[in-house]
Amino acid sequence: MTAVIAASSLSKWYGNVLGLNDVTLEIEDGVTGLLGPNGAGKSTFMKLITGQMKPNIGAVTVRGQRVWNNPDIFPAIGFCPEQDVFYEDITGWEFVTGLLRFYGYSRAEIEERAARALAIVDLTEAKDRLIRGYSRGMRQRAKFAQAVAHDPDILILDEPLSGLDPLGKRKLIRLIKEFKDQGRTVLVSSHVLPEIEALTSRIVLIHQGKILAQGDISVVRELIEAHPHQISVRSSDPRALAARFVGDPSIQKMTFGDDGRTLVVETHKRDEFFGRLTDVVLGAAIEVEEISSPDDNLQAVFAYLVGK
Amino acid sequence: MTAASAVRQVFGFFGFLGRRTGKTRVFAILGLIPIVLAVVARVILHGRTGLMADVSTEILMVFFLQFYIVILALFYGTSVAAEEVENRTLAYLITRPLPKPAIILGKFAAYSTLMFVLVAVSLALSYFVINAGRLGELDVYWTFLRYIGVLGLGILAYTAFFAFLGTLLKRAIIVGLIFGFGWENVIQYFPGSTQRFSIVHYLKSLLPYQPVRGVPSGGRGVALLLFRLEPTKPWIAILALAVITAALLVLACWLFRTKEYLFEE
Repeated sequence: MTAVIAASSLSKWYGNVLGLNDVTLEIEDGVTGLLGPNGAGKSTFMKLITGQMKPNIGAVTVRGQRVWNNPDIFPAIGFCPEQDVFYEDITGWEFVTGLLRFYGYSRAEIEERAARALAIVDLTEAKDRLIRGYSRGMRQRAKFAQAVAHDPDILILDEPLSGLDPLGKRKLIRLIKEFKDQGRTVLVSSHVLPEIEALTSRIVLIHQGKILAQGDISVVRELIEAHPHQISVRSSDPRALAARFVGDPSIQKMTFGDDGRTLVVETHKRDEFFGRLTDVVLGAAIEVEEISSPDDNLQAVFAYLVGK
Repeated sequence: MTAASAVRQVFGFFGFLGRRTGKTRVFAILGLIPIVLAVVARVILHGRTGLMADVSTEILMVFFLQFYIVILALFYGTSVAAEEVENRTLAYLITRPLPKPAIILGKFAAYSTLMFVLVAVSLALSYFVINAGRLGELDVYWTFLRYIGVLGLGILAYTAFFAFLGTLLKRAIIVGLIFGFGWENVIQYFPGSTQRFSIVHYLKSLLPYQPVRGVPSGGRGVALLLFRLEPTKPWIAILALAVITAALLVLACWLFRTKEYLFEE
């Protein structure tokens, strides 16, 4: 398969800070997930492949063409930035139609495309409201609308799901999958494994500016299974809760959080633990305020891969 | 899309956007000051014309030439590139099929037009209020056209300068303030050719009245804008302003095309 996006020996640094380090990567049709913790170099990579930055070393091409200072390539690319930034004093409609002007379409075509893009993201009703009055989810969808309005072949989405509520996430995931089904290329970044998992099985793991691994997500899942999951349970009586789990074979380790109200559990058998937790909470009438498993142990996988 | 069409599209978008911003509303309010002053002067003048009207008009021109167009150009000019970087909206522009110089030229044209409208409305209202008693004299209209032409050229030259600063520096406003209200205000009063290192010198050289030998006020009895002016010939002044504008725009476009704007994450 021909690479849609190709990076070879790509390096980028900001002063003394290395943003990307000798990255060679080929991205093909379909959805590819760029997964890594915050500050891993995901956004730097995306800025390089969208021509917002030029590499210090190496080269990046999209469909065989260089990107930096090459406006001819941009009708093929739709980019959704990570930052929650807009021209705030205009409406959603003016935002999308305004940016569509830059493709040389006729007025009628601009309006048709903008209407379609805003309908895709369910912003038709809110299109005449000022963007500064949009909720976070609406703003995220407006960003997506401007990225797809010109019907690009390649969609580059930098953390598109961040800040969205579960329903909004589901909608956007559905839209991205529809894009893939139309035979287009989507590169999407995230620092949350389940988000990427919901979109694609093809992932690139990036950490400290380097590509650690790439391929099928099951490989990462296996690595994750090999590492204990960390689950925080905040409750009214964490000590009583801990007492109920002493000797439980599904648990590796238990500690108490600094706030005195959180029990931190490490387990290999997450599902088994959650089953037991439900029984314990119901049986002992312990009030659980919050359960969290922040990064699905992704950090441990990165630590393992870096160590390797 | 051709380069000219790209400039036109950027002009259209930012002309529209520029009218919506709070900055434009603030500067429009600032433009009311000379109109209010003109009304006050008119009341004080009780319909008298001649010298007092000339003095009032010249005070107005000091406001427009040495304050209003400079502050407008400073804020709009530096924002041509810098607002996109500071607001992080640059990604929306440079990931479009637009040559980067078209972004600078289109925004420059849009903001210059916007500023010109603000200045023209404010000057027209204040000027004709002050000179209301002389509306039958052709000279009043000729002088007005000269003033508006001078201010238009000033907007172009200052905006090009500040646009260049905005593409070059992170804190362009501070350097721009020092230039606009420091350098320009001091250098123009230096004797000999030194005053030619200011933009305002060329603008003053195009005023409808000039100092004559031995009569620094040009025989008008008032010479606020002619103080220590050793004028350049009008055609040279126009040429100098055109060269300044074009050269700085070319530099701004070149910088914007070659420079990377890195965001502090």
